[in-house]
Amino acid sequence: MRDLKPRKDLLDIEGLELPEIEYVLSNAVPFKQLFQRSVKKVPTLRGKTVLNLFYEPSTRTSSSFEVAANRMSADVTNFTVSSSSVVKGESLLDTIETLQAMRSDYIVIRHQAAGVPNIVAQHTGASVINAGDGYHAHPTQALLDAMTFREVYPDYQGRKMVIVGDVLHSRVARSTSTLFHKLGIEVGVLGPGTLIPPGRHEFIRRFRSWDEVFDWKPDAVYLLRVQLERQEGMFFPSIAEYHKMYGMNTERLVRMRQIGAYLMHPGPVNRGVEITDEAMRYERSLISTQVENGIAVRMAVLHWLKPETDTD
Amino acid sequence: MPSATPRLFQNGRIASADSKELLAADVLVDETGTIVAVAPGLSAPAGAEVIDCGGSVLVPGMFDVHVHAREPGQEHKETLATCSAAALRGGVTGVVLMPDTSPPVDTGNLVKSARDLIAELSAIPMFQSGCLTKGREGKEMAGFSGMASRGVPMLTDADRAVPCPDLLRRCMEYACDFDLLVTSHCDTPALTKAGAINEGRVSYRFGLPGIPAISQEIAIDRDIRVAQHTGAKLHLQQISTARGLKSVQCAKEAGTSVTCEVSPHHLVLSEQDIRDYNTHFKFNPPLRPAADVEALVAGFIDGSIDVLACDHAPHTEFEKSSEFGSAPFGAAGLETTVPLMFDRFISKGVFGWDLLIERYSAAPRRLVGLAPVAIIEGAKAEFFVFDPEGETPVTRETMKTKSPVSPFLGETLAGNVRGTVLGTAWYPQGK
Repeated sequence: MRDLKPRKDLLDIEGLELPEIEYVLSNAVPFKQLFQRSVKKVPTLRGKTVLNLFYEPSTRTSSSFEVAANRMSADVTNFTVSSSSVVKGESLLDTIETLQAMRSDYIVIRHQAAGVPNIVAQHTGASVINAGDGYHAHPTQALLDAMTFREVYPDYQGRKMVIVGDVLHSRVARSTSTLFHKLGIEVGVLGPGTLIPPGRHEFIRRFRSWDEVFDWKPDAVYLLRVQLERQEGMFFPSIAEYHKMYGMNTERLVRMRQIGAYLMHPGPVNRGVEITDEAMRYERSLISTQVENGIAVRMAVLHWLKPETDTD
Repeated sequence: MPSATPRLFQNGRIASADSKELLAADVLVDETGTIVAVAPGLSAPAGAEVIDCGGSVLVPGMFDVHVHAREPGQEHKETLATCSAAALRGGVTGVVLMPDTSPPVDTGNLVKSARDLIAELSAIPMFQSGCLTKGREGKEMAGFSGMASRGVPMLTDADRAVPCPDLLRRCMEYACDFDLLVTSHCDTPALTKAGAINEGRVSYRFGLPGIPAISQEIAIDRDIRVAQHTGAKLHLQQISTARGLKSVQCAKEAGTSVTCEVSPHHLVLSEQDIRDYNTHFKFNPPLRPAADVEALVAGFIDGSIDVLACDHAPHTEFEKSSEFGSAPFGAAGLETTVPLMFDRFISKGVFGWDLLIERYSAAPRRLVGLAPVAIIEGAKAEFFVFDPEGETPVTRETMKTKSPVSPFLGETLAGNVRGTVLGTAWYPQGK
């Protein structure tokens, strides 16, 4: 293998170097091939423990990490903190102390507050994997998106993707656009001005309408989930208007087919909001591939990170 | 440690607001705490304590108009005793206390009680300010006449703006009757919301809710306009953007009675300095882009900014150790401000002691109706000994505040306050 500096944590995409990204993405391929076999497990992490710590409900991401860890033969503990006992700032240190006592080798953490995985990582020898923190980052999502894009476009460099929706409140948009930019894939965004923060990323092209998007001929269209609970009635007038302006509908699907663009979505989808039922059946939808690749990429991440928990 | 011993400070170099030159001289302080002689080669009277300053700079005591001492009510963060110890460590010999204690100081009786506590517990003069509105709630006017009769130096809702322009207008109108200074924390709560850092590239990258610059700028414009309308004397706290400063400059040119302050952290740090979700860099107003910092430094030098004030706002390390979004705003500043200004500006020749003394000693005293202090014969001794060759390590162990929380933790700043003189008392500090 290449000479990579051992890395303890995966907290965001910004800090990653290209060889590291390449290492994870290329390792994910054989892990995925494993899924076709009757025995889907490898013994790589036998005897190691993975703690799945979710402060925000997420069945999908949590299960994906659990399956990935199981297929690596690690022992997995799931720890879901109900929203009623949402951690106040005060208890974060106590939580870290508790985690230390559990002596996990890997801590997968999702938290509603940006930066919590960073703080946990500073205080533990375990490898911390950020499974989504506030609006900050969701690095494994970005990696699985990249893997998915590269599967359909082996000549991915110079290709184009447009992200549609609530970029402002999206950790997925942050991480995925940053990773795609690093990989040499052009990124554009489409959405209401209230949800597209101006000037935040110099490399992102902003579109004001679907017409502009289709003229650009993107190779993939990435729909973001509309975070209904985050709208506070301040960002667009109504769901119906959002759907009309930015949703993937029949008419737009026709144009998708014309340019042969793939459709991506981080899930779970809001049918009738960012996407119609019909668009869900689009033949070039990569949504379930993304889910499958999520497991492979997370296995590759577990394989790559080096916890500092060994005492020998 | 008051004593009736005369003290001779030998081999000093005296700084003042009026001169760029340092004056080589000895300073003799008599047993009443009065400076009786300032001249080279003074000989020590019998029984006098002799302090060899070894060429250190003797600087008039600083005065900070923006201090949260936390007592009464939040003594776990800071007390009047630890706050005054931190002040003396930093060469600060007088402060204005914000009224956001528990309970908030919003009546004459509470001012009286605060003054009693200060007299009992503080080693330095502390001037208790009062609230503009009852309980700092921004709903009803507080008891101005009672507070005025107890000598409050200013009225402010401390870290909170008065959201209703009508109430602000009435507060300003009424404050004029008592000739009271109205001090504004410039903020538009409806825009700031749950913001944690400056809104922009950095907040986006961190995924943290942002505080837009217009939140402060609109409040500055509004408060200036209301002050112009009512004729009130207005002081604006913690200007943090170039555009906000421009508003103040325009108002001054128009003859408005307005002054403003800047905090040391806004002069030396930008939003780019925030790393790894370190909450010691979480301030309100937040650290801004570098272009704003440059404009503030220029305004500090040209006088558009009148006063330096550190916003000493201690929170415990534990409180600050939570995730960035929910950690409290603010840090300790009293003991680091002078060495920081020396380290970043004076030692590099950006400006001299005269400017720092004007902004951090003379102007703030004038702002609250006090006479500036100077190291001259006949004056009360109120100065500190600053060793430009020394250094100030900023560490948890060396800080005097009860809450050693500072964006400069881990740094060693150039220069050191060797000791502070206040009347008959001499407070030697770290080596």
